[in-house]
Amino acid sequence: MKKLFDVLGWVAIAVLLSPFVIAWLPLGGVSTGLPAPWWHSLLLSFRQLSITLTATVVVAGVITLGLGYLSILQPVVGKVTAGVLDAVESVPAILVALFCYAPVAVALASHAGAYSTNLSLAVFIFAATLTSLPEAVRGLALPLGELYHRKYSVSMRSYGFPKGRILRVLLNSKAMRDVIRRTAAGILLKTLVLDTSFSFIIQVGMGANGTPAHTSPGGLIAAWRMVLLDSSSGPPELFWVPVGLLVMVSLAFLLVLGNDKEAAV
Amino acid sequence: MRFLRFLAVELGLRGVVFTLAGTLALVGLYLLSVGSPPEQYLKSGRSFWLMVTLSPQFSVENAGFSTQQIIGSGAAITFPLALAALLFLVLVALVASSISASSAYLAAMQSGRGGWRLGGVGGLGASLLSAVPVFVGYWLLYGSFGMNPPPLFIAVVTVALGGLGWDAARFLTLDMKRQIEMTHTQVFSTLGPPVGRVLPLPGSVTGYLLNSSAPRFIPYIAGKVPAIIGGVTIAEMVFNFPGLGSTLLDALVNRLTDTLIASVFVLLAVNALVAFLVKAALFVLYPRWYEKAL
Repeated sequence: MKKLFDVLGWVAIAVLLSPFVIAWLPLGGVSTGLPAPWWHSLLLSFRQLSITLTATVVVAGVITLGLGYLSILQPVVGKVTAGVLDAVESVPAILVALFCYAPVAVALASHAGAYSTNLSLAVFIFAATLTSLPEAVRGLALPLGELYHRKYSVSMRSYGFPKGRILRVLLNSKAMRDVIRRTAAGILLKTLVLDTSFSFIIQVGMGANGTPAHTSPGGLIAAWRMVLLDSSSGPPELFWVPVGLLVMVSLAFLLVLGNDKEAAV
Repeated sequence: MRFLRFLAVELGLRGVVFTLAGTLALVGLYLLSVGSPPEQYLKSGRSFWLMVTLSPQFSVENAGFSTQQIIGSGAAITFPLALAALLFLVLVALVASSISASSAYLAAMQSGRGGWRLGGVGGLGASLLSAVPVFVGYWLLYGSFGMNPPPLFIAVVTVALGGLGWDAARFLTLDMKRQIEMTHTQVFSTLGPPVGRVLPLPGSVTGYLLNSSAPRFIPYIAGKVPAIIGGVTIAEMVFNFPGLGSTLLDALVNRLTDTLIASVFVLLAVNALVAFLVKAALFVLYPRWYEKAL
């Protein structure tokens, strides 16, 4: 019975993540009854969001793994890194993103097309990685360190196994695979929230000409927010459809986090 | 002596020094990244000093908000909003964890399943609410109340939507549930205390569980202060409150260094002040745990 619920849970998560798959399907001829430019923007924003999330989880994941290893193998470096990450964590994430974008605002405004989009994405991935690293590194390094200092790891060291190999073995354990999955879900959720909130406030504060140059569902929601107040601007679906899709995606990540936390009890 | 050390570390080092150094570092990095000439650094340093000393000479070159207005806005809007959101976050976590932990306790003691099912439905509802982006809630508030929504509603949206409340409630619930099966809880439950289903009141089972979980929960709450400030900053941009939010955005893009210094300083100061209040609660209630956390 428990296995059936697990399978159903994963099917639900796959369904909730389907907007990312649908965004990449060739849907040129599909008639939705909604304005074609809006539909195009919606697909484009979810494509770019999927790229942002994938790139951030890869970059942040690799750095997290590196810092996690380093904090166990070199405790002094680990302590210094923890201090730096603590300082980063005490600054609101939205402020970090604003400060990352400000220096490239001129470059983004003066260049059009692919260059601007790629630069904007790169800056955002940097900001999202920076803000998600403290929690991710802590989430990985603490349980890994705990396993490393347990009795059987000490025995492995006494048999002459190199430290790096012991850590690789420990990372392959079920407990650590769960930790990695939870860490990845945490990074994805944090990046999703930051990307959409940041795009929303930039669109609200600066309009269509503001940074970032890569489209995001948050920016699309902000661009069509007036339909809720003024019915002549368009149907309310223009606001609610991207909101509903974002809720689906967020819920999928929350379920992954929730499942893992429940299992940890 | 311990109290003096607490003040020195939390108010002096992590409060004043972090706020001043953080403002200088962020503005310095900004100037570096936009390629400002050396004289601009000196000018910004002087502006920083004028701001810290509340000189009327600060920011006379820039039209817009004065330092007093920005600091006043931080004191009158950002700080109370952040504090209200923090208190609501704690309340949500306490109520949710009491309901969930008491159901788990009763299920363990009486082998009941109803509580678990109720908890599952409640958990799904909370997850759904958390999946709604916080800015959507702000915009709905804007649609209902215009530019002046009740501050309490902003605090409620900041916590209930976007995952802050969900995460805090889960953190405390899981920590309390972990202790239900432990020997000390079993011994306490033989005294026949009330369960405390809605709030973890002193003398109840959930109150006892909370007493054990609080030393971990309070530092967790302190770590969430930047996220609350981030949410409040978004609200300030949506509702265009004077002094912060959109002013910070304008300052960054238009290179208004004085305004930038004042906005960053106020945001970091509010952040540090709220975090200090939470740490003070930990120090007063659980001094040993505070020492351990150091």
